[in-house]
Amino acid sequence: MRNTIKVAALSATAVLALAACSSGKTDDTSTAGSSGASGNKNIAFVQGVAGDEFYITMECGIKAKAAELGYTVTTQGPQKFDPTLQKPIVDSVTASKPAAMLIAPTDVTAMQAPLEQAAKAGIKVVLVDTTVNDPSFAVSQISSDNVGGGAAAFEAIKAAKPGGGKVLVISTDPGVSTVDARVKGFSDAAAKDSTFKDLGVQYSHNDPATAANLVSSALQKDPDIVGIFATNLFSAEGSATGVRQAGAKDVTIVGFDAGPNQIKALQDGTVQALVAQQPSTIGSDGIEQADAALTGKTVNPKIQTGFTIITKDNLSGEGGQAAYKSTC
Amino acid sequence: MSTITKPAQAIETSSSHGSFLERLKAMQSVWILGVLIVIFGAFAVLSPTQFLTTGNITNIMQNVSIWAVIAVGMTFVIITSGIDLSVGSVLVVSSVVSAKTMEALGGEGWGVALVGLLVAVVVGLLWGILNGFLVAKAHVPPLIVTLGTLSVALGIAQIITGGLDIRSAPTVLQDSIGYGRIAGIPAISLIALVVVILGGIGLHKTKFGRYTYAIGSNETSARRVGIGVDRKLVQIYALSGFLAGLAGLLSLAQFGTTTIAGQSLTNLNVIAAVVIGGTSIFGGLGSMFGSMVGLFIPATLQSGFVIIGVSPYWQTVAVGAILIAAVYVDQQRRAAASRGKGV
Repeated sequence: MRNTIKVAALSATAVLALAACSSGKTDDTSTAGSSGASGNKNIAFVQGVAGDEFYITMECGIKAKAAELGYTVTTQGPQKFDPTLQKPIVDSVTASKPAAMLIAPTDVTAMQAPLEQAAKAGIKVVLVDTTVNDPSFAVSQISSDNVGGGAAAFEAIKAAKPGGGKVLVISTDPGVSTVDARVKGFSDAAAKDSTFKDLGVQYSHNDPATAANLVSSALQKDPDIVGIFATNLFSAEGSATGVRQAGAKDVTIVGFDAGPNQIKALQDGTVQALVAQQPSTIGSDGIEQADAALTGKTVNPKIQTGFTIITKDNLSGEGGQAAYKSTC
Repeated sequence: MSTITKPAQAIETSSSHGSFLERLKAMQSVWILGVLIVIFGAFAVLSPTQFLTTGNITNIMQNVSIWAVIAVGMTFVIITSGIDLSVGSVLVVSSVVSAKTMEALGGEGWGVALVGLLVAVVVGLLWGILNGFLVAKAHVPPLIVTLGTLSVALGIAQIITGGLDIRSAPTVLQDSIGYGRIAGIPAISLIALVVVILGGIGLHKTKFGRYTYAIGSNETSARRVGIGVDRKLVQIYALSGFLAGLAGLLSLAQFGTTTIAGQSLTNLNVIAAVVIGGTSIFGGLGSMFGSMVGLFIPATLQSGFVIIGVSPYWQTVAVGAILIAAVYVDQQRRAAASRGKGV
């Protein structure tokens, strides 16, 4: 019986200690029953996956804008880009009754119902980066013009390899609205150009190791691939590794997203160009729209942000500014 | 009846064989329940208006339902001192085959849904029988067998679909099972509750359950006493597969899509929950009630941490620590029993 009491006391102390160390969530005695009540200045940000520099940069933009407007932000994210892991988090966030939720849904179908429930509970939902099948419950959707981004990636490969050749796309998973749009932009642009042969899309499940294996196998099969378009950060990391593993020379890799590893790969020359989104802008736009919805101003239902093409040449200038951060 | 000298490591049963043994078992379940109550109480104190709402509690219940169904089978398997790592992949492949069948049949009604259910559990059952056969007859260790079938099942799911999720579950499934409520309780939780109760009765009150404990406690003795161990093992793994198939259909109902890239941590989460609940990985000890309490601990921790705003990484730290503590207590218990406290 002594052991039982000891362990129980230990667990209680541990939980209370962790709570004391927690940052962000402040005293909620002022919130009324409805989360939309004035005085509720809490906003929750649910990332697509934790530990991804794209979402960390977005978090930095969110926190900066929120501090300006007087909101407190808590950030949560699943360990993997997986709706089965994101749904319980969204449910808990809904229960914590923030005034607004900024979220990057990890699946167009699976996250539909949980987010509709959040909206029904009175939380203003802003979709950042990805979206769902029917976003009518959300007050605003903010993302990059991913179709344009995919087309720009093709233009970057075309500029490096004017003679044409085989091109390959490494994507993450089908059903993620943003990367699907990038793939579409790229494939449509490639289809219009007869000098290039599109070898299609391979899916790396957002795992750099898988991307590396896919690329080295593809290069074994088609050693004359001239260009690879990697549709997000992890895919770009893995593709660069795969090209190095296969020992291939003169493959133009254009990556999407500009994390520290990709910037380094750009400097080393393994990747030739990066299409960088503006996650910081997406984040701060998200807070602005949430604030507009909460204070009754006009809301912009759809915002498309732009992107920057980073090459070795402009790294010291505007390219360097557009790189993603790993801490705020 | 002559006086029976209690064996050093008694076969765990639910009827009272002696007050000390009963107290030991009760203490394990009570201990785990106590931990859950402490955690729950701590979050309730820290965040009363948000954590302690019916909405949040029903959400926690809804989110553990699928794992609860799998945990029933896993409890049986772990009590036999085996393990089943393939449950996540069997869930995925069952939901894939089921979704493909329902898509081919077309229609949104209950007839199609029932066919889908049948297909899902049959696929799960077949994988379970394969696992059991390899463990019992081919004498491959369960860890290796299920590690292998984990990869094979997932690979087959990806081959069937080309890696693309199938997003067409009949609407009746999503509306009434996935998100429907009966008297305010989520339908999916009620289904899981029924499965858990049946599993509990099967484990604690039937011969099948007794044999399960016997095999886990001492397989050689079980064989010598005349229990058809091979047959029972096949049946137990088949049960685990069957329930993973059912979980596949429930997952389809809840998410509306097959989540092929997901479910990779499901097996470890369910095993951790079952072990935290007091089931010994060395076999012979465990209870269904304990497994269910063990399931609620990680889910409550995560929900609480998100609500009070603690980084999500602390949740995995906490669950890992509690898991080690649970196995430590189990070892203490076994040492006490083998020191002959019951004799």
